[in-house]
Amino acid sequence: MINLFQQGFLPLYIIITIVVCIFCYFFTLYLIKETMPLLFKAGIQGRDLHKPGTDPIPESIGIVSGPMYLGCVILLQIVYQIKLSEFNAGITSICFMVLLGFMDDVLNVRWRVKIYLSFVSILPLIVAYSGSTYVLIPKFVKIAFSTAHTAIDIGIFYKIFVTLFSVFCTNSINILAGVNGLEVGQSIVIGVAVLVLNLFRLNPNDASMDQEYARFSILLILPFLAVSFAVLKFNWCPAKVFVGDTYTYFSGMVLAVVAVIGHFPEMLALFFIPQILNFLFSLPQLLGFFPMSRHRLPKLNEKTGKLVGQMQHHNLINFWLRIVGPKTEKMLCIHILIFQAVCCVAAFGIRFAYREFL
Amino acid sequence: MINLFQQGALPLYIFITIVVCIFCYFFTLYLIKETMPLLLKAGIQGRDLHKPGTDPIPESIGIVSGPMYLGCVILLQIVYQIKLSEFNAGITSICFMVLLGFMDDVLNVRWRVKIYLSFVSILPLIVAYSGSTYVLIPKFVKIVFSTAHTAIDIGIFYKIFVTLFSVFCTNSINILAGVNGLEVGQSIVIGVAVLVLNLFRLNPSDASMEQEYARFSILLILPFLAVSFAVLKFNWCPAKVFVGDTYTYFSGMVLAVVAVIGHFPEMLALFFIPQILNFLFSLPQLFGFFPMSRHRLPKLNEKTGKLAGQKQHHNLINFWLRIVGPKTEKMLCIHILIFQAVCCVAAFGIRFVYREFL
Repeated sequence: MINLFQQGFLPLYIIITIVVCIFCYFFTLYLIKETMPLLFKAGIQGRDLHKPGTDPIPESIGIVSGPMYLGCVILLQIVYQIKLSEFNAGITSICFMVLLGFMDDVLNVRWRVKIYLSFVSILPLIVAYSGSTYVLIPKFVKIAFSTAHTAIDIGIFYKIFVTLFSVFCTNSINILAGVNGLEVGQSIVIGVAVLVLNLFRLNPNDASMDQEYARFSILLILPFLAVSFAVLKFNWCPAKVFVGDTYTYFSGMVLAVVAVIGHFPEMLALFFIPQILNFLFSLPQLLGFFPMSRHRLPKLNEKTGKLVGQMQHHNLINFWLRIVGPKTEKMLCIHILIFQAVCCVAAFGIRFAYREFL
Repeated sequence: MINLFQQGALPLYIFITIVVCIFCYFFTLYLIKETMPLLLKAGIQGRDLHKPGTDPIPESIGIVSGPMYLGCVILLQIVYQIKLSEFNAGITSICFMVLLGFMDDVLNVRWRVKIYLSFVSILPLIVAYSGSTYVLIPKFVKIVFSTAHTAIDIGIFYKIFVTLFSVFCTNSINILAGVNGLEVGQSIVIGVAVLVLNLFRLNPSDASMEQEYARFSILLILPFLAVSFAVLKFNWCPAKVFVGDTYTYFSGMVLAVVAVIGHFPEMLALFFIPQILNFLFSLPQLFGFFPMSRHRLPKLNEKTGKLAGQKQHHNLINFWLRIVGPKTEKMLCIHILIFQAVCCVAAFGIRFVYREFL
């Protein structure tokens, strides 16, 4: 195989990757249609709590997106002859997460176990990671400590940070949920932000490792967008299928793995601002200071067809509805996704400002 | 971490690996007990067709053995600081197989799809494999072709052989089944044979790559024996849980991966003689020349409590029962396992003879 991954051949690399991902999108659509009745027959289904009186719909369609994504990435790995050990380890981590996520969906494990599942899944990548563990030092810190260093090697703490970060990513997407299309939608918005970030990083004149990182990131995020758009087609309001923990874990893990292999975890943290906010709002309930129910959903006003924010549920969705007033489920989803997009754009702004002050 | 994997420190390496695997065994026992009610509640269960009138028991306990095995191997990878890319790729393949196997158990995919699942799962290892693709040439072939070469590089055909071989391993254990304890039992017998083979290969005076291969193989097979013995404790006649396709695929893939990373696929093929025979016997039915039912089980004579071989089922179990006469389920299992052990011993004999004539 021609080494399309190295310097040069950039347009050919983009074209081949996009063509493979387009096939991936259509094949995933087909597999979702085939799998929905199988999930239903196996009893893996749920009632749409915002559409009273409707029949249950299949759940855990992440079991299609997971393996399809992995198959697509492995195919691209064959095409580009990628032997990087972190790349393989990243695939292992994602595969492990999909396995444990699907097991969670089928067996309904306790929520404490969910944290362990995320933690164990990231270990392969942590073990294989031999890249830089440096973080850049901001200018004001340099001035404050009168040092000439531009970066500091935090060694093992980098690996600890990455571990906690991926546990956070997988579970935070899981709790910003409950509205048709929200879990996939937020993943797609963040995924597009990751793609844009790495397209900005691409520079045919640059010969440093940064180019490799950018190309790896694009290689890992395009199939993710392909399978996610396929899932969204069936999960957008009104949903015909639920994504399940299988998808939300898969999604969080893919994004965390791309950020680690592509060396941009701090940017991903900025993209995750809505998820961080939702997590902080939810903390009092998660820690037990306030009573918490299984699904902290807004209440449906059946006359108006709109969702009303609930005072007892401390999360982003309910807070937002209490600020802007009752909205339909589809509008609520669009609002949150626009907020996610705005935060991603702001993240680029922060990155620009940060680099000016370095 | 001290590099126990390189030359020297052999007793310490064996000791640490065994201690980790003993913990793995007991923790797997605990997890199996915890998971059995969850599987039953999720409806993943089956009736024991040889024990009429009993309640259904949980199935697919492979969902415990798979992740436990992977967790144990990843832990050992951390302890020994193993960065070999084939090692990681092997873990990915096993993880992928467990995921697809569990999906198969839950969704009951068509049997044609099962072949694709095995094929896709081995791809990560094929992509990463950068080891030798030589096969040894037997003496009589050398004489016939008047060549001085001792080995021939078959390049890509080696990878094709490994792919077909692992598809065979995963599915052949799946069809030599239907008797309590048989699937786990045959896997354990083959696993012990693999362990013995690699213990023979160990030689502290030797400094070649062969030592690395042997140590990798032991590292990969000991946790497999640990989780398999834990499963056997619950699956031995009378079974309290079924292993499911999740376990049989997991088992076949682990054995294939160890053989590839440890560079002994031809020996594994010899260990698999009972599975090969069972497959050959079953071929006419698999191709449709004879009618085939879902479970090709011997018939239980409820008065004597013994299983009688059926003329219409063309597989090893039924042929054996028609030769030796009706046996109880436990005795039948023991017979087949003894046959498996005898074939493994014969394999060592064949290897000895082959090397004498090289």
